[in-house]
Amino acid sequence: MKTILLLEDLPEIRAWMRKLVLQVFPGATISESARVQDAIELCGAVKFDLALLDLGLPDGSGVDVVTKLRDVQPDAQSVVVTIHDDDEHLFPALQAGAFGYILKEQPRELITEQLQRISQGEPPLSPSIARRVMAHFSAKAKPQPQSHLMPNVSLTDRESEVLLRVAKGYTLPEIGVQLGLSRHTIADYVKQIYRKLNVSSRAEAALEAQRLGLFR
Amino acid sequence: MRQPRFRPLLAWLCLLLWLAAAGPAAAQTLLIRGALSAPGHLSSFPDPSSAVPVTLPDEWVHTRPGSDAAAWYRIEFPRLAPPESDDLMALYIEHVCSNLEVYLNGNFVHSGGRMSRPLTNNCNQPQLVPLPSALLRVEGNTIDIRVAGHPLSEVGSRQRAGGLSALQIGPQQELAARHARRTALQVWVPQAVSATLLLMGGFMFVLGFINRRESHLAYFGALSVGWAIVDARLWLRNIPLGHSGVEFLLCAMLGFITWAAVQFLLRYGGVRLRKVDVLLPVQCALLAVSLVLAGPQRLHALASVWYLVLALEVVAASAWHVHHQRKSRAVWLMGGLLSAVTLAGAIEFFAQWTGARPLVSHIALLVVPVIFVLVGLRLVQQHGRALHHAEQGKAQLEQRVREATAEIERNFRQLSELKVEQVTERERKRIAADLHDDLGAKLLTIVHTSDSERISTLAREALEEMRLSVRGLTGRPVRLTDALGDWRAEVVSRLAQAGIEGDWEGPEDLPQTLSARAYVQTTRILREATSNIIKHSGATHCSVVASINDNDFQFVLQDNGEGITVELDGKMDRGHGLASMKNRAKQLQGQCLVESGPGYGTVIRLTVPLDRALQPS
Repeated sequence: MKTILLLEDLPEIRAWMRKLVLQVFPGATISESARVQDAIELCGAVKFDLALLDLGLPDGSGVDVVTKLRDVQPDAQSVVVTIHDDDEHLFPALQAGAFGYILKEQPRELITEQLQRISQGEPPLSPSIARRVMAHFSAKAKPQPQSHLMPNVSLTDRESEVLLRVAKGYTLPEIGVQLGLSRHTIADYVKQIYRKLNVSSRAEAALEAQRLGLFR
Repeated sequence: MRQPRFRPLLAWLCLLLWLAAAGPAAAQTLLIRGALSAPGHLSSFPDPSSAVPVTLPDEWVHTRPGSDAAAWYRIEFPRLAPPESDDLMALYIEHVCSNLEVYLNGNFVHSGGRMSRPLTNNCNQPQLVPLPSALLRVEGNTIDIRVAGHPLSEVGSRQRAGGLSALQIGPQQELAARHARRTALQVWVPQAVSATLLLMGGFMFVLGFINRRESHLAYFGALSVGWAIVDARLWLRNIPLGHSGVEFLLCAMLGFITWAAVQFLLRYGGVRLRKVDVLLPVQCALLAVSLVLAGPQRLHALASVWYLVLALEVVAASAWHVHHQRKSRAVWLMGGLLSAVTLAGAIEFFAQWTGARPLVSHIALLVVPVIFVLVGLRLVQQHGRALHHAEQGKAQLEQRVREATAEIERNFRQLSELKVEQVTERERKRIAADLHDDLGAKLLTIVHTSDSERISTLAREALEEMRLSVRGLTGRPVRLTDALGDWRAEVVSRLAQAGIEGDWEGPEDLPQTLSARAYVQTTRILREATSNIIKHSGATHCSVVASINDNDFQFVLQDNGEGITVELDGKMDRGHGLASMKNRAKQLQGQCLVESGPGYGTVIRLTVPLDRALQPS
């Protein structure tokens, strides 16, 4: 039995999503919300296993809900469901702790499959997102004033290898074949990459906040 | 640098030496060192018995202290030239003060000018009196000279006190040459120097007056002009002011000259003293007042004291100047010139003290203005150089201002370009967000609520199109490597989802970038081609080969499907996007070729020229 948060402002799409989610997770409890503020309140009240969050909402961005959920319910999985396929929209959500993303307009079967994969711990990773993650970590690799607030999060060689191949356009199964690794192992690397991105981004944000605090 | 400055000085010295080099009196000339003297108020030389013998030169201050303003002298001499010679004879008088009349054997033969007050001033003019042959007797010639002059007490300089020098009688030709040399030294050269000083001084005064920061120029100008005026006493014979007026003016002028000289030396040294600024004019006034109070009778005594005071002031100022400037390289020049002036002053003092007037004192009198001219040239040179430097500085400053202005303009331009870019970027983002929120939401609703699969697909494609357009709107160039990664991921994963074995070959790590437009159009073409393969080909395998040449990049998509029949070809062109693929390739100045035959599969060759694709359009 899963408890699921559904954040979507368009009623038709929300209804459609609800139907789809119930197909994938029969018998799930679904809390619906059309506004960021309501969703954040729900995060404090209900324990969720999964949150499907739209990004562009009338009263703000779904990224805020991702952040909130990551803070109060670290075990809940946030998945961004959006029509924005570009990394500029997706990357902040991933940094905030989203575990994968789904493009809304895809055919029902595809979305169903992706949703299942994500819930089984196999998030998708597009070349452009992979490049952003690489850029994030290589910028961090430059010497910086270290701080106790800044845990030294870095990618392993294998994780970097996977990222590089994704960036070049190889699909995850292809990379599994190339590296002689199982599908699950590759998925674990991707999960690790998302996790490290989140930890590193949060540490960065904390450091930035401290820096701003010092200036005040 | 220093050599040319001294060259004019040397030239002057040579000229002066030539003028001074009066040869020894020739054997034929007769030097007369004695005469009979009688009081000069009589209309002619009195009875010889009442006359007294005097030696020449006769200075009244010794022989006739406080006496009349005139005296008679009589000399007698034999005929010098042999009778057969018809050489013209002449009398040469080196110094007579102030004026004279000459009678030969009772005949009036020469007048120097006015004999009553104000007397014509001939003190500095050597006199040459031709002696007409007709009036000369064979034996026992008599020359009577009546001299009018001023007692020493009434003049400011011993040289202008009454007196008569030794006389020479001889051939006119020879004496004329001597007279000419002497006149040149005592009259013409001072005239020339005075004129030079006057011109230069006036020029410098104006220069210094305009340019208050160079006030030393103004004082030097005043000094030069003052000296030129004082020097006029040497050659100006008739001054319509009366004797005492002229003497008063000359003495008073020395006060002004001292004022100018001391101030010049101070200001040239870069110092301005308030006290001196006040004291010097006060001293001038004091000098004038004291002279007036003392009256013409005591002028000489008072003036002598003042001369000493003024000279000491100038010497002190000179010493201060040289000391103050001792660290400057040019101190030797100024020091040398000031020493020369001081030496000349000392000689003049000596001449005044003893009453003797040797040749060197005449030269010393000339050295001072010559040095003034040299100093003036030096000042003009310095002024010119400073002006030149100032102009250079100004030019540099202007250049810098121009550069700074250009820099500011450039920055401003960049700033405004940046601003335009920012505004454009913001507007693009706003349009993109609007499209997503509004059009995107509606299309999405259609995708997921339409009952018709065909409409859903169309709406989905429209949504993808919209997203691509938005990406084209944001307009950032894409690295070709990244673009190839995106394309590969999309094509291969879509083929895999459709159960078609995909095979991609392509270069990696390319340095080129692609305009957003080229990226978007190529993405559309590839997407369309992939869709066609998935939907219509019935293929099980598809290979994609991407390659890059110097001028273009190329995709070859080959499937093993059914190929396109003629009828289907026409249909595809209308409804399945082959035409739009070709159109899009054409827009990028590339081409899209479809080769197909029933049963042979389909080959799509897409060529996009790099140079066009690389340009952000």
